[in-house]
Amino acid sequence: MRRTLMLTVLATLGAPVLAHAADAATSGGWVGPFAVIAAGLGMALAAGLCGLGQGRAVASAVDAMARQPGAAARIQTAMIIGLALIESLAIYVLVVAMILLFVQPIK
Amino acid sequence: MDVIEHPPIFHLPGIPDHVTYTWLVMIVLGALALAASRNMALVPRGVQNLMEVVLEQILGLIDDVMGPEGRRYLPLIATLGLFILVGNLMSVVPGFATPTANLNTTAACALIVFLTYHWIGIRKQGALTYLKHFMGPVPLPLKPLMFVIEIISHLARPLSLSLRLFGNMTGGHILLAIIFFLMGLQGLIGWALSGSGAGAVIGGLGGLIMVAFTVGFLYPLKLLVALLQAFIFIMLTMLYISGAIEEAEHGHEAQHH
Repeated sequence: MRRTLMLTVLATLGAPVLAHAADAATSGGWVGPFAVIAAGLGMALAAGLCGLGQGRAVASAVDAMARQPGAAARIQTAMIIGLALIESLAIYVLVVAMILLFVQPIK
Repeated sequence: MDVIEHPPIFHLPGIPDHVTYTWLVMIVLGALALAASRNMALVPRGVQNLMEVVLEQILGLIDDVMGPEGRRYLPLIATLGLFILVGNLMSVVPGFATPTANLNTTAACALIVFLTYHWIGIRKQGALTYLKHFMGPVPLPLKPLMFVIEIISHLARPLSLSLRLFGNMTGGHILLAIIFFLMGLQGLIGWALSGSGAGAVIGGLGGLIMVAFTVGFLYPLKLLVALLQAFIFIMLTMLYISGAIEEAEHGHEAQHH
């Protein structure tokens, strides 16, 4: 399992590099393809972990709401604020990914 | 982005699109305010009724979060909320640019919030007491450390406030642009029009699925995100202001970044 995963990661990292090696000399730097990989992998990691975090938060909130339906409105407000704060971490990665993809500060 | 994105329908030469559409938001809000307050009646009807409902919602929120002191800050909070809400809703109108999908707009709003809540705190408690407020309820040796951490966390607030709104609106925008690119002349519709029978079937079916996905899922999602982000922006504004005006003895239980 682990070996397959590592091979997949290596192949993912390696394939564009090999494909790019031919015209790297003519069309400029190596950073471009790695920036695309970094944007994709970073966004995938951030989205997955952010989903885990938000899932835990929502689970606890729903649990609390089921125990105390009277306090549901306040719990919901607190939950939405908490979700926004968790989500902003993934949004940072999205912004970094967009900078890598569209602004391309390092060529 | 430039490949897959159509420029917005109104484009004033020499002026960035988000500024043009910020002016449009101002015109919409000004027209709504004029229409609501021109013939004010004791029993509200039409636009007046709508705006009263909106303002009552915001007032209820302020009462819940900030308590009785909060109503003084209604103009700031409601203005920010309405501006961001109408700006966000422009993202679901085809052919419009979204003012809040540009970092300049959101950073301006976040900086206004940042400067205002510090100013409110200093005016309410005095500069020295307000600065002491940063050190938190910890023993004396830990106070300098706490001070530095608090300063950093306060500086991170406008950053996260602006980036959250910007990232959410731009993310939805890119998602929609990619879906439309996949549907367009180089994608499924082009395939359906290519002349071959299989292409017509696959392209037509795929196009229908994509349209159903966009109308049934993406647009409601974008509407929800537009409402939620405006709500969260004013909610965090209220929390920051109430954190600045609360007395230092209470400590700060409500720590938010």
